Amino acid sequence: MVRDPVVLAADHLWGFLTALRGAGLPAAPAKRADLLRVIAESPPPDLTTLYWYARITLLQDVGDLPAFDRVFDGWFRQGGPGPADPPPEGDDGGAPSPGGPGEDDPPPHEARPGDGIEASTLSTYGTREFGRTGERRRALMRTLEAAWPAVLPATPSRRRRPARSGDRLDVRHALRCAHRHDGEIIELRRLARPPRPRRLLILVDVSGSLRQHTPDLLRVAHTALRAAPARTEVFCFGTRLTRITAALSRPHADRALRAVSGLVTDADGGTAIGAVLERFLGNPRFAALARGALVIVLSDGLERGDCAPMVRATARLSRLGHRLVWWSPLACSPTYRPVTRAMAAQLPSLDHLGGVRDLPTALAEVRRLPAVLSGPRHTAARRWSTPRPMGSTR
Amino acid sequence: MTPAAPWLSHERELAAALAGEGYFADEGLCTAVHLALRLGRPLLLEGEPGVGKTEVAAVLSRVTGLDLIRLQCFEGLDSGQALYEWDYPKQLLQVRVAESRGEDVGDLYREEFLLRRPLLRAVRAERGSVLLIDEIDRADSEFEAFLLEFLGDFQITIPELGTVRAGTPPIVVLTSNRTRELHDALKRRCLYHWIAFPEPDRERAILRAAIPGLEERAADGLVRAVQRVRRLPLLKRPGIAESVEWARGAMALAEGGSPWPVALRRALGLLIKDEEDTRLLLAHAGELFDDA
Repeated sequence: MVRDPVVLAADHLWGFLTALRGAGLPAAPAKRADLLRVIAESPPPDLTTLYWYARITLLQDVGDLPAFDRVFDGWFRQGGPGPADPPPEGDDGGAPSPGGPGEDDPPPHEARPGDGIEASTLSTYGTREFGRTGERRRALMRTLEAAWPAVLPATPSRRRRPARSGDRLDVRHALRCAHRHDGEIIELRRLARPPRPRRLLILVDVSGSLRQHTPDLLRVAHTALRAAPARTEVFCFGTRLTRITAALSRPHADRALRAVSGLVTDADGGTAIGAVLERFLGNPRFAALARGALVIVLSDGLERGDCAPMVRATARLSRLGHRLVWWSPLACSPTYRPVTRAMAAQLPSLDHLGGVRDLPTALAEVRRLPAVLSGPRHTAARRWSTPRPMGSTR
Repeated sequence: MTPAAPWLSHERELAAALAGEGYFADEGLCTAVHLALRLGRPLLLEGEPGVGKTEVAAVLSRVTGLDLIRLQCFEGLDSGQALYEWDYPKQLLQVRVAESRGEDVGDLYREEFLLRRPLLRAVRAERGSVLLIDEIDRADSEFEAFLLEFLGDFQITIPELGTVRAGTPPIVVLTSNRTRELHDALKRRCLYHWIAFPEPDRERAILRAAIPGLEERAADGLVRAVQRVRRLPLLKRPGIAESVEWARGAMALAEGGSPWPVALRRALGLLIKDEEDTRLLLAHAGELFDDA
């Protein structure tokens, strides 16, 4: 039985679209309809034209291009997982697998407990008590809490509100009042766009290499949450990602920390920053929290194995956010240079790389935020590439 | 939808028409423009600064003979500046005039009290238009929501008037420098094309078209040098605009008596506009410019 070539071609095309979805590049129905319409209206004379048709109608982001090319090559150019052209008879039209496009192997596991010096991918299920907050810390936390509101970035609200002085007359309101007074305008009202604070997203690394700093880093997050409760989101990560906004919202610091320690099961274990950030960004609801926000990552950035996923994820986080600030306990040391592979590779995506290991250093960095927020983007690389003037702290 | 000029729906003629206006598009971009015209969809162009994203719209407007309407995006851009606004002072005057004449005020939300901002102008253009929404990544992400209705159906809903639909849909080009990620909903409504830096042949053609007096050998060396410069880890890689400026500057210096290689180096400020990049470049000057 010989099947109609048109049907075969249609099957093949359908298989390609399905494979795209399998490769994590789902195309919206409208986009697929666009492609099919174009092919029907002006049949592509060659493969290159077909490639461009498909790429321009279906692709949505240049970052997806390599994956897209792999699937396309597999289906329309030789040597791929797609059925040969024409497909063998009796092909039931079932879509072949997208052919595992170069999935990177996870970094090798090494059964070694996290010793706190070097990052390991070993996942431990540890919960931990974070200790009590002494009076000195409490005072520092109060100072921090008071410092946050002044440094958080704001953006003009979209919704104009009546104001004493504003850039626009509230003519709508004036007209309404005029109706009441027989068309007489008695007073003018004004409208302004009140500033609306941007979202603040804090990602805290709780892995073993940060063991001694974790309680203080969480206290820093707690003060931010207290200062701007409605606009702050806090996540913590080791080998897993945990949303701790609700737990950390308790007014009393120690109670908040205790609630967090009950939630976090991967404290003091290994790190997989890349995988965790990818998981964060892969969840659209989480990714939406980063959009236009001030994103602060509290981590030493020690990534084991392949650092490419981490670098990619940081770049995306940076594009989503308003500013991306990285606070690393290691950067407190005057001899620190961001030279580990992962840190060096992601430095161009960062707006600022500062040193935070406890509450006083956090306070210093928080006070440095306005300069970071008002300056141009992606200047961390520049600042760290020039020799450091004597005695300056970043 | 029928494209503004039916002959433009043939890809080869489109490429020739663009080249006739001095824009040398590669195959991908030609296909992208062709599909945008044929499907009547907005075209989202991304690419590094200076690869000619904005120019696409300008050239399209010249080729089609349609008006170019430009909306430059910036942080804080709102619907009153992009879509439409009521002319309240005029409405107030109308109230006073009607009052002094003892007439009824009538309807204050009529066409004549409407201020047309770029998007509404594009919808109202009878012959159609080329609408350029430039650097959409500079507007806040909330602004994208205002664009959705427009980009999906080329219509704008004004509560007091109803829905205004475009008689002839505009040709819409959006550009982004990818400083932030755009919403999926926006991207779904657009065709997408990433403009890469041009290959040597195309860049040579661009240079020779832009600068009539440029010798072939000089253009050759220049393009080679620029391509190498782009491979360096620079903070800002030079785009086409910069390489054209560089060639122009070097030409001017060469006419003033400088030997060509010296002229090239002295005009470097036109190619690289960052102190650190310049230092990096000078460190590699030998290998970059030896055969330029």
